[in-house]
Amino acid sequence: MTAAAVVLHRITKAYPGVVANNEVSLKVERGEVHALCGENGAGKSTLMKILYGMVQPDSGEIEVGGSPVDFRTPADAIRAGIGMVHQHFMLADNLTVLENVVLGAEDIAGIGRAARGRLQQLITETGLTVEPTLLAAELGVAERQRVEILKVLYRGAKIIILDEPTAVLVPQEVEELFATIEDMRDSGYTFVFISHKLDEVRAIADRITVLRRGKVVGSVATDKVTNAELAEAMVGSELPSPTLRGGEPGERVVLQLEALSLRSPGDDGTGVPLLDGISLRIRSGEIVGIAGVEGNGQTELVETIMGMRQSTAGRLILGGHDMSGATTRELREAGIGFVPEDRIRHGLLPEQPLWMNRLLGHQTDEALAGGQWLDIDAIKRDTEQLVRDYDVRTPDIEVLAGALSGGNQQKLIIGRELAGEPQLLVAAHPTRGVDVGAQAFLWEQIRQARDAGLGVLLVSADLDELIGLSDTIKVMFCGRILAEADPSTVTPEELGVAMTGAILAASTEDDSTDHLAHAHRYADARGGNRRGGQR
Amino acid sequence: MNPRFRSAVLPPAIAVVFSVMLCSIVLAISGANVPRTLGVMVAQVGKDTTAVDIVNSAAVYYLAAVAVAIGFQMNLFNIGVEGQYRVAGIVAAVVGGGIALPPVLHPLLIIVAAMFTGAAWALIPALLKAYRGVHEVISTIMMNAIALGVTAYLLRVDVFGEQRGNNVSTHTIPDSGTVGGFGFGSGGTVFGLLLLSVVVGVGYWMLLNRTRFGFELIASGQSPTAAAAGGINAKRMIVSTMLISGAIAGLISLPEILGRDHQFSLTFTAGYGFTGIAVALLGRNHPGGIAFGALLWAFLDRSGLALDNIGVPREIVTIMQGAIVLSVVVAYEAVRRMDLAAEKAEVGEVVAQ
Amino acid sequence: MRRLRGLLAIPLLLLSLTACVKDDPNAISRIGKGAACTRNSPPAAPPSSSSTTTSAEPVSAPNMRVGLAYDIGGRGDTSFNDLAAAGIDRAKAELGVTDVRELSAAAGESPSAQVARLRGMALEGFNPIVAVGFAYTDGIKQVSKEFPNVKFGLVDSVVEAPNVSSLIFAEEQGSFFAGVMAAYKSRSCHVGFIGGVDIPLIHKFEAGFVQGAKAVAPGIQIERKYLSPAGDTRGFNDPGKGNEATRGQIDAGADVIYHGAGASAKGIFDAAKAGGALGIGCDADQYQQPTLAGVKDIIIGSALKKVDVAVFDFIRAVALGKTADLPKVFDLRNDGVGYSASGGKINDMIPVLEAYKAQIVSGKLTVSQQPTR
Repeated sequence: MTAAAVVLHRITKAYPGVVANNEVSLKVERGEVHALCGENGAGKSTLMKILYGMVQPDSGEIEVGGSPVDFRTPADAIRAGIGMVHQHFMLADNLTVLENVVLGAEDIAGIGRAARGRLQQLITETGLTVEPTLLAAELGVAERQRVEILKVLYRGAKIIILDEPTAVLVPQEVEELFATIEDMRDSGYTFVFISHKLDEVRAIADRITVLRRGKVVGSVATDKVTNAELAEAMVGSELPSPTLRGGEPGERVVLQLEALSLRSPGDDGTGVPLLDGISLRIRSGEIVGIAGVEGNGQTELVETIMGMRQSTAGRLILGGHDMSGATTRELREAGIGFVPEDRIRHGLLPEQPLWMNRLLGHQTDEALAGGQWLDIDAIKRDTEQLVRDYDVRTPDIEVLAGALSGGNQQKLIIGRELAGEPQLLVAAHPTRGVDVGAQAFLWEQIRQARDAGLGVLLVSADLDELIGLSDTIKVMFCGRILAEADPSTVTPEELGVAMTGAILAASTEDDSTDHLAHAHRYADARGGNRRGGQR
Repeated sequence: MNPRFRSAVLPPAIAVVFSVMLCSIVLAISGANVPRTLGVMVAQVGKDTTAVDIVNSAAVYYLAAVAVAIGFQMNLFNIGVEGQYRVAGIVAAVVGGGIALPPVLHPLLIIVAAMFTGAAWALIPALLKAYRGVHEVISTIMMNAIALGVTAYLLRVDVFGEQRGNNVSTHTIPDSGTVGGFGFGSGGTVFGLLLLSVVVGVGYWMLLNRTRFGFELIASGQSPTAAAAGGINAKRMIVSTMLISGAIAGLISLPEILGRDHQFSLTFTAGYGFTGIAVALLGRNHPGGIAFGALLWAFLDRSGLALDNIGVPREIVTIMQGAIVLSVVVAYEAVRRMDLAAEKAEVGEVVAQ
Repeated sequence: MRRLRGLLAIPLLLLSLTACVKDDPNAISRIGKGAACTRNSPPAAPPSSSSTTTSAEPVSAPNMRVGLAYDIGGRGDTSFNDLAAAGIDRAKAELGVTDVRELSAAAGESPSAQVARLRGMALEGFNPIVAVGFAYTDGIKQVSKEFPNVKFGLVDSVVEAPNVSSLIFAEEQGSFFAGVMAAYKSRSCHVGFIGGVDIPLIHKFEAGFVQGAKAVAPGIQIERKYLSPAGDTRGFNDPGKGNEATRGQIDAGADVIYHGAGASAKGIFDAAKAGGALGIGCDADQYQQPTLAGVKDIIIGSALKKVDVAVFDFIRAVALGKTADLPKVFDLRNDGVGYSASGGKINDMIPVLEAYKAQIVSGKLTVSQQPTR
């Protein structure tokens, strides 16, 4: 038996405030497609950056082909036969395919006929068909990806890391890619395939390793695992500490959505809508959880409720007032707190001190500003209080928000959003990428606010979090609410199954459309959206 | 030293030292006597009216730089300050020369007219950017070209112009509309409207640090996405910011028009809009930093004139100005990264405790 | 488009033809390339031999320290400033002046920089001081008051002060010759004028040119174009724009181009050469200019504005203590403006030009400073 292609042994990498990889061990056999799964922030990217020499681990060893290596730069990794294809392509538009491939690797076969011959041979061998004389600017997304793969092959890679390769592809292109990968595997190449899309992982991988919160949850052969088990492994199976329910939800409806729909901007009305007739109601003192595999409309739902996108049909009723089409500020002033999915991009001003961040989204709050004039003293006092109440670990409130760890940033945001005593909190992945201690603290805060009468819309990919916190759970699939579950009875396994499109027993809809076909069209609609953005 | 103070003061100091060194090398290569050259520049400040000229120039540069900096705060590149102040200048001179009002009221009206004109000129690119997505750099450059044409038209003898020898100017603003200065005898006269720069500086500081608009401006500039999630209307911010920037741009020529020229003529000084960009970069858009930058820039401009007298090419000053701006940008970025890293470490220690 | 223009041109042409014929029944007519131009006969007055009347009394001023403040561009601009420099060089050669300080303005500088420049020279003891360009008007006004014992010479503008000599020119008279040359040499009865900046000073060039051309051929078509609007001085230093404007005029039918556009001249003559047209120089004898050597074969002559003469005369007058004797305006009468025919392409025209010159000098013909439409 030959040595494994790659062995990672007890790799640990900590960033200030968060441990990205915690004693991660991984073994990739020669000639297999090994999938690395996990939610965003689980530590997949850090691990692969370590393997590719872009990041140095704090501790742990790497072996390639049986011998220990010490990668300082990607060039070291390339020399050892490892190549990485990033999610974002790095091609020079004004160069040809051949020039792009050869650029930076001129020492291998020059830039002339020999280089062309080597590339042509690779194309023939692997089936990564692309015309070497075309300009990169003329290529489609799938072709660009093939060029990226050819680039690493040209440099002699036998072990290829693919970082979310399907994110930018439409289903047919995914199938083509998978066929190529299988052929190449059969001729001896090894792949590490990073993804969080369960179907795809199961379709292509020989073996799957699941990461969660920087740790390996497990590593299994693909044929020995179900989708539901995978989903459960990714988002966690241990139930959180027993829930203290503070009585039944109240009678007052704080948020009511009536057939809310959203189409992508370029859609002329014939495409698949991003949100398709979403109806739900949230009462005071109630947490409504939204489950679903990422990319099924949860982000769009949150942004539409927050007024950051304008719904194309349906009504949004907040506290009894029709606020369809209201601006973000109007909605916030009417009493919505917002914990965004991407806290750095949407929740904070990283280069401003904490007290300035306290103001963000609350700049019209009368306690902090009288008309146009800010009450700096009040803001600072309030921030001091918030830092104490929410246990934000910081030397003082003049620290820049970007310097805090993820968990402390999130405490600041949740503290801020609950401070205005809103009637509704829209929380998207409130504990993603947060250390365990902070996570428990944040859950407790949300629960207390709920008990005090707050309505909460909780979007999460962490099934334990959903089941532990929610009073009711809706499952989103392809822009629709497909099912409803009772968190007191449902298991993570059942939820995992529902998230893949199968209908739960407790389903409220008996719509029996062909979910798979619909899923493809939905992915097309979203993918088209994203591809538009890429260009 | 207070680390925040250090990170504000260290970069420009490094930049100035670096560019003086660079220029010394250039001077040495070109065969000039380096210490003498620098000495002449510094000594010039005490001579003649140079000190007053520096203050006067700095007052004008300050207005230009604040006009630019307000746009910079939210990543709007208002290249159009140049055209805005030109159009505002001629309108101010025409209004001032065309009406008669009591002393205090008269200049006040001229100031309002200039601000209004500057804002109006900035409104067009603002609307194009907010509602049509036209990049402001392109539209403001276009507006600058149009401004040249418009002022040339207004200055025609058959419109508002008046020919004097080979020059053409607007009607002279009567004494009631002018603003006297602070005389220093043979040392020159400081523009009375230096006060305008002071007021604008204080106002700019208040706007940034004490108002909701200032907060929204900074937030929109640093993170458009977070600003949107925080309920800040990007379109409205673009329009308001450009309007304020244009209104301040409208003030740029007033110290000279009301304090010295009393008219708008063919010899109107152009280019302050572009100087403003450099000074705003130098001052990192900070009200105090810009004041420092404006004084430094004016010092180099004015003392540079003395280089002619010792046969050193005056272009050395241009090299120095360019080198300073470039190295300030680099130095600030370097210090900013160091600070963020240091702060992360500090927070990390607190967390560990 | 081309056809449309052709159609439009026909009635215009007819109109001009009839106009020409009506104007002068004794006209000498000549058929050019596809167009006709009716020309008036030249004035009959005999050429006069007037020239400068400055006495040849030898002057020497080796101790004189002369300050010269150039306009933007300074020595070496191949135009206006270089002519002033030539005046200084002549003063060095003929008067023995040795100590000369030459400074030039920077683009976009403020008026106080000009004041500082003049004052700096005055403080250091330079006397006389010559300022080139009307941008210095306010500066001279102020500094001449501060230094009543220093003599100032101001080119192109007027300041009424006892110690200031205003050196202004009758540019329209020089440009009149350019108009005459152009009208005679045009085969299509269609000429062009390109001004650097749309300001009164340059309007004088246009006025003289137009009047000269119409004096020869009343029905002549004249293209006029300014490279930049008033207040934007780039038109004096933009060969690219000059080139483009010239091509436009040639496309419209003009075949002789005169300009008042300073350093944009290079582009103007390049385009003229490429388009098969002729050019007429401005201010200096541009046929002789090294930077224009490549296009000199199409330069048929130049309208002269003798800044060099004015600067030299001023310095000499200061040396003699006779600044009051300097002419109020440098014009044809005192040889302050004129024409040159270097290159020999218009030798046949010299009698005609001299005839017009005599008429202007005698006052029979007045050249307007305002262009007629």
